[in-house]
Amino acid sequence: MAVFGGTLRVSGNGPPRETNVAVSQEEHLKELSKGYRFDWKDADHSVFTPKRGLSAAVVEEISSLKGEPDWMRKFRLKALKHFEARPMPWWGADLSDIDFENIYYFIRSTEKQAKNWEDLPEDIRGTWDKLGIPEAEKKYLGGVSAQYESEVVYHKIKDELDQMGVLFTDMDSALRDHPDIVKEYFGTIIPPNDNKFASLNSAVWSGGSFIYVPPGVHVDIPLQAYFRINAENMGQFERTLIIADEGSYVHYVEGCSAPIYTSDSLHSAVVEIIVKKGARVRYTTIQNWSTNVYNLVTKRAAAYEDAVMEWIDGNIGSKVTMKYPSIYLLGKGARGEVLSVAYAGKGMHTDAGGKAVHVAPYTTSIITSKSVSKDGGRTGYRGLIRVEPGAHHAKSNVRCDALILDEDSRSDTYPYIEVEEETAALGHEATVSKVGDDQLFYLMSRGLSEPAATAMIVNGFIEPITRELPMEYAVELNRLIELQMEGSVG
Amino acid sequence: MEPATKVQGFDEEALSALSSSTLFVEALRKQALEEFLALPIPSQETEEWRYTDLSDLDLSFAPFAPGGDAESLNRGKILQAAGVVGERAGLQIQRNSEVVSTQLTEGLGAKGVIFGDLDRAAEEHPELVEPHLHALVPTSRTKFTALHGAFRTGGTFLYVPPAVTVELPLQTLTYLDADGAAVFPHTLIVVGQDAEVTFIDRYVSPALSRALSVGITEIHAGAASRVRYVSIQEWGDGVTHLGVQRARTGRDTELRTVAIGFGASLARAEAETELAEPGGFSEMLGVFFADGTQHFDHRSLQDHVAPNCKSDLLYKGALKGESRAVYSGWVHVRPDAQKTDAMQTSRNIVLSDRAKADAIPNLEIEANDVRCGHAASVGPVEEEQVFYLQSRGIRRDEAERLIVFGFFQEVLDRITLEEVRDSVSHAIEQELAGEG
Repeated sequence: MAVFGGTLRVSGNGPPRETNVAVSQEEHLKELSKGYRFDWKDADHSVFTPKRGLSAAVVEEISSLKGEPDWMRKFRLKALKHFEARPMPWWGADLSDIDFENIYYFIRSTEKQAKNWEDLPEDIRGTWDKLGIPEAEKKYLGGVSAQYESEVVYHKIKDELDQMGVLFTDMDSALRDHPDIVKEYFGTIIPPNDNKFASLNSAVWSGGSFIYVPPGVHVDIPLQAYFRINAENMGQFERTLIIADEGSYVHYVEGCSAPIYTSDSLHSAVVEIIVKKGARVRYTTIQNWSTNVYNLVTKRAAAYEDAVMEWIDGNIGSKVTMKYPSIYLLGKGARGEVLSVAYAGKGMHTDAGGKAVHVAPYTTSIITSKSVSKDGGRTGYRGLIRVEPGAHHAKSNVRCDALILDEDSRSDTYPYIEVEEETAALGHEATVSKVGDDQLFYLMSRGLSEPAATAMIVNGFIEPITRELPMEYAVELNRLIELQMEGSVG
Repeated sequence: MEPATKVQGFDEEALSALSSSTLFVEALRKQALEEFLALPIPSQETEEWRYTDLSDLDLSFAPFAPGGDAESLNRGKILQAAGVVGERAGLQIQRNSEVVSTQLTEGLGAKGVIFGDLDRAAEEHPELVEPHLHALVPTSRTKFTALHGAFRTGGTFLYVPPAVTVELPLQTLTYLDADGAAVFPHTLIVVGQDAEVTFIDRYVSPALSRALSVGITEIHAGAASRVRYVSIQEWGDGVTHLGVQRARTGRDTELRTVAIGFGASLARAEAETELAEPGGFSEMLGVFFADGTQHFDHRSLQDHVAPNCKSDLLYKGALKGESRAVYSGWVHVRPDAQKTDAMQTSRNIVLSDRAKADAIPNLEIEANDVRCGHAASVGPVEEEQVFYLQSRGIRRDEAERLIVFGFFQEVLDRITLEEVRDSVSHAIEQELAGEG
């Protein structure tokens, strides 16, 4: 076993102790004003020397370090073959600068997962403190999973949820502790050859969340995962699997950030969700990667009879995002909703959207997308609504609005509507505009500065999304928007 | 039905069998043939051809089919096929590969209006034809436009000099009755500054076992001109129709186009407007009705290059039987095109549970001070509307018929030419009455 730099204190599984909330309100505001406020770097904590590049040997090593069963090792190696065989996508954002040979595919930062914040090496703990995760956990979360580089370094679920039979662990532990259920569902919603980046994730996945909610159980406080990249040229490939059994409910929230480096990192997650009969899953993402991260994520849910799946997808950061949360409506009466908000500033290309595939009758879907581009940023909505034969009386509505804040910025809309059922009713509407001069004039005549007025208009514009977020996240999103608007000329 | 000539396929030998033309046209043909031989049949792997599969298209068509003499017009019932023809300032008839008749109202020629066979215009007015032919739709665009560039014969050239207003519409009827033939209708319209004209292209054929039409329309609309262009595609069963229409507007030009599609087994129609100078306006209307196993692939582009332009597109279509219709449109606002106002709407009504409709209305916006929107819908006849009409004592089939008419009314109301409106209404009526 390699030795790492920080101090590892192993303690029992007692309740989380009071932790230092390092950032005062004043410091917090100071950081806010500097722009991207998640730009700090911890010292290298890797517990073995990480290697750049990808090969079958790297995949074997990841699998063996994790002590995985043979089927997973084979699954990974097969996926690697798919990854190698597939061409890069020709559509969407420019990915030509990704250097797969320069990326670290696996970095282990701690020897052992902590159940107590204090058990983490000091500056890793400091990172979580600065992100406010331990504080949020105390206040309003039912469980927290904190992933640092490739693995989940802290994990905790409230005892009462544990007692109700709710499983909430990191994916690696789930494979060890719940092998049957993992094997039954893993890779069934997003097969390893679904697309090039899903293949990559399937080959080198590490970390992510596993959630199982038993029939009829309502988890009424959100479960949260936070993903942090610290190292330069890191590749983070978390893998999340959520199974909501019949009539259950769960709200899962994820956030992410990374320091700013001069060369790029890659985040390529796969998220699979199974929403069984009558169940409801709400999945909220606030993505705020630094602007040197490629964020190429495949998210897909299968919704069965009368189930409800909701994706709330906020994309504020990253260099390039390509992410289209999908819902396959497989059971009669299933409902799906995607709420997407995308921001692109200087040097950013956010290609987001949503997909709904109606396979069963009387299914409905709603996609609402709001995007804001500024300082030469490019936002895109890319969507698919598909009605398969037999999905009679399917209904879908798509609404996309884009705001372009200056003349260097750009917005694109690529909606696909494919209908094979006479009784299906589908609609799509989109608008693209700038901040209205009369709105700005009105607010400024009431004494607001131009940036403040612009921020207020933009916050109003994305309000249909923010009102669906947990309050803390809505506040955070509004604050981010205000920050991005500073110095903007409408 | 006229038998097609024996020559099949498109090669140098077939090209040399065509009657010779001007040096310019000969050079263009030669180059286009090379492009045709070099280019692949567009693959469904590409976004442009995603919904239309031509990989199995057998290109063994006759490259040239004679038109016969003017006498044969009556024998061939061609005039009857032209349908209701209102008052015209000019009428040209092309049968198969040849123009067989051209008429232009007296007086227009004296005003400098040129209307007639494109090949003859290339000889008589090279200064007008050469800078414009294939300037908007280059032969190298696809394998099919290259084929068109190489083997086109006949076609229409219309020139309206600056400040001349042509009150009545001009029309070309392209009539195809040579089974197994390929035809290449080409309409080249050049309109001078401040001029005004209306032009109608009509494509008609009986049902054939197989035929190919690769058409190109190029419209150069000068500054402050007012141009209306209507295309009516009524090919019979068996025809594969691949059409590209592209217009470029000048400063303060007002361009209104209508694309009507009822015919052909497979019809792909691309309509594009480039708003190249400030102040231009482009209206693009589309009406289609697919039945049986027809496959329609409609594509549009509103390309805003210059600032202060406005474009408005409305396509409405109905589907019956096992038909398939795709609408994919693009609004592209280039970085300099500030103050753009662009709208794009595609509405589809599905009347059969075996029909399939797709709509992909895309926006690419690179300027910020713009107003752009799009809307697309696909749906059945609404039950509430049927119920309402039934509750007023109207039979179900009649109620559905009325609702479909109501659906099309929005676009019909915007077609300013009464006779075109009437003939479209009539065609919708027939489609609704027909089986499948």
